[in-house]
Amino acid sequence: MIPETQAPHWEWYYIAMYFYIGGISAGAYFIGSLLEFFGNKRYHELSRTAYTIAFPLICITPILLIADLGRPVRFWHLFFYTKAGIPYMNLTSPLSVGTWALLIYSGMSFLSFLNAQAAGGPLAYPLLEKVHSLARRIPHRIYALTGSFFGFFVAGYTGVLVNTTARPLWAATDPLFGPIFIASAASTGAAAIALAMLRRKTAADEAFSQLGSFDRIAMILELLLIIAMLLVAGQYTAPLTKGVYAVLFWGGAVVLGILAPLGLHWYGRKPGEPATSIVTMAALLVLFGGAMLRISLVQAGQL
Amino acid sequence: MAKGMFVDTSICTGCKACQVACKEWNGIAGEPAHFHKVPNRPYEVAFNFTGNSYDNTGKLSSTDWRHVRFIEQFNENRSDGRWLFSSDSCKHCNDAGCLNACPVKAIVRTDMGNVFVQDDVCIGCKYCIPSCPYGVISFSEQTGTVHKCTLCNDRIHNGLGTACAKACPTGSITFGEVEDLKKKADVRLAQLQALGHANANIYGYYEAGGLNVFYLFLDRPAVYGQPEHPVVPQRRLFKSAAVTVLTAIAVAAAAIVSFRERGMKKNDEEVKS
Repeated sequence: MIPETQAPHWEWYYIAMYFYIGGISAGAYFIGSLLEFFGNKRYHELSRTAYTIAFPLICITPILLIADLGRPVRFWHLFFYTKAGIPYMNLTSPLSVGTWALLIYSGMSFLSFLNAQAAGGPLAYPLLEKVHSLARRIPHRIYALTGSFFGFFVAGYTGVLVNTTARPLWAATDPLFGPIFIASAASTGAAAIALAMLRRKTAADEAFSQLGSFDRIAMILELLLIIAMLLVAGQYTAPLTKGVYAVLFWGGAVVLGILAPLGLHWYGRKPGEPATSIVTMAALLVLFGGAMLRISLVQAGQL
Repeated sequence: MAKGMFVDTSICTGCKACQVACKEWNGIAGEPAHFHKVPNRPYEVAFNFTGNSYDNTGKLSSTDWRHVRFIEQFNENRSDGRWLFSSDSCKHCNDAGCLNACPVKAIVRTDMGNVFVQDDVCIGCKYCIPSCPYGVISFSEQTGTVHKCTLCNDRIHNGLGTACAKACPTGSITFGEVEDLKKKADVRLAQLQALGHANANIYGYYEAGGLNVFYLFLDRPAVYGQPEHPVVPQRRLFKSAAVTVLTAIAVAAAAIVSFRERGMKKNDEEVKS
C-alpha cells in the first residue's frame, strides 16, 4: 500500500525553477573556481565567464523562493528566530541549512563577480569597480574556495531536501536526487558557460573543447544516475512513466536533454575546431533538459 | 510526563462528535456543501462530497484536524459484514518529521510532549507537509501557514483534556498520561483477543519513535489508512547527504582531470614542436 501523504503543492515555476537556475549558477561557479585553482592560465577567460554568469543567475533565486512562501514577508524568519531573538538554523532540515548555504554562496559569488569584472570582464562599470575596491583586501582565493564548497552545496542540497520527505516517489528514489542534481548542475553550468563564451566570441578553441568533454562526462554520469534511480525506485516511478511528466522526463530530460547533446557531440567530434552551430545547439539542449529534469522530478513527486 | 490520547477504535460508533468538538473549540471554519445541478439528475448534487460511505470530509486538512474514517467490510450483496470506524488526527510523534523539517522553528514540542505550530512564526514554506509520514499537516491558503491538531494546547495547559476526548460519548478517545493510557490499551487488547479478535493490534508504540496519540485497531493498520512501516524521513538524511557529497567529489575530480590532462598534453606537444 502506498502511504497517504500530502503534497506540498510547490509551483513548478517557483521551486523547480529555483532548483534549475540555482543549479546552473552553482555549476558554473564550481567549474570556474576549480579551474582557477587547478587549471593553468589559459582558462582565465573561462573562469571569468563562469563568475560573470553565476552571480546574476543566483540573484533571481531568492525572488522565486520568497514568492512561493505562504507568508512571503516573513522570509527573514529563516535566519532569525523571532521568539528568542537569535539567529537560527535547524540541522535536521535541509531547507534551513540550504538557506544559509545559499546566503553564503551568494556573497562569495558576488565577490567573484566583482573580481572577474575588475580583471577585464564584460560588465566593468565604474560603480562595480568602486565596490570592488572595498573588497579588494580579501584574497580572492579565500572566497573562491568557500564559494566553490557552497556552490556544490547549493547544487546538491535541493535533491537531498526533496529525497528526505515521505512522498512515495521522493522517498523511494532516496538518495539519488542529490547526485543527479549535482551532475545536472555541472552539465547545465558548463553549457551556460559555453553559450556565454560563444556569444562573446571569446571561445579559445582548446578551453572550449575541454568544456565540451567535461559536459559529456557530466551527462554520462547523469544518465547512469537516472538509470540507478529508476532501478532503486521500482514500482514507485509510476508518476514518471505515464502522463505529462513521463513526456517531460523521458522526452525532455533524457532524450532531448542528455541523449541528443551526446549525439551532437559525437557527430561533431571531427578533429579541429568544433562547428559553432553544433556546440550552440548542444548547449541549448542541455539547458532545456536541465529544466525538464527538475520540473518532472519535483512535480511528479507531488501527484 | 508526556500527555496523549488512546483511540480505541473497537468502541467508536462513527458519530463524529469529536470532529465537531474539535472545530468548535479551535474555531476552525466549516466546509459548506456546494450543491449544483448535474445532467440526468432531478436533484442537485454537492460536488465537494466524497460519496464514500458517510464520510464527506475525506481526509485531514487545515480545517479538519480530526477525521472519522468509515471502513465498510461487506460481502457482495451486503448481507454480511461489519463497519470499522477510526477517529484520526495528528499522532504527536516523539520523532516528528514535520518538526525536524521546519526551517524556522515554527513547529515546537511543548513541555507536555505535544507538537504545536506557532502560527506567528510559520512562513508557509510547506516543507513540513511532505515530511509528515501520515499526511497530517496541511497548508491553508487563507492564513498562508500550516495547521494541524495541537492536542488542544490551550486546554491541556490549563488542566483540561482535549475537546475531542471530552465530547466522545463512548470513551473511544481518552486523554491522559501516555504511560497510563498504554496500560489501559494493553488490558483492552488482551480482552479483545480473548473475545476472538485475532487481528486486533495496537498501533503507535514503536512507530516514529512512539506516538503520543495511539490506536487500537481491529484489523491491519493499512485497512485504517495508516502506513504499516512509517519512516521518519530525516533518519535517511545522513545517507542521502553522504552520497551527494561523494558525487560532488567525483564531479570535482572529473572537472580537474578533464581540464588538466588535456592542458598538459597540449603543453607537451608545444614543447616537442
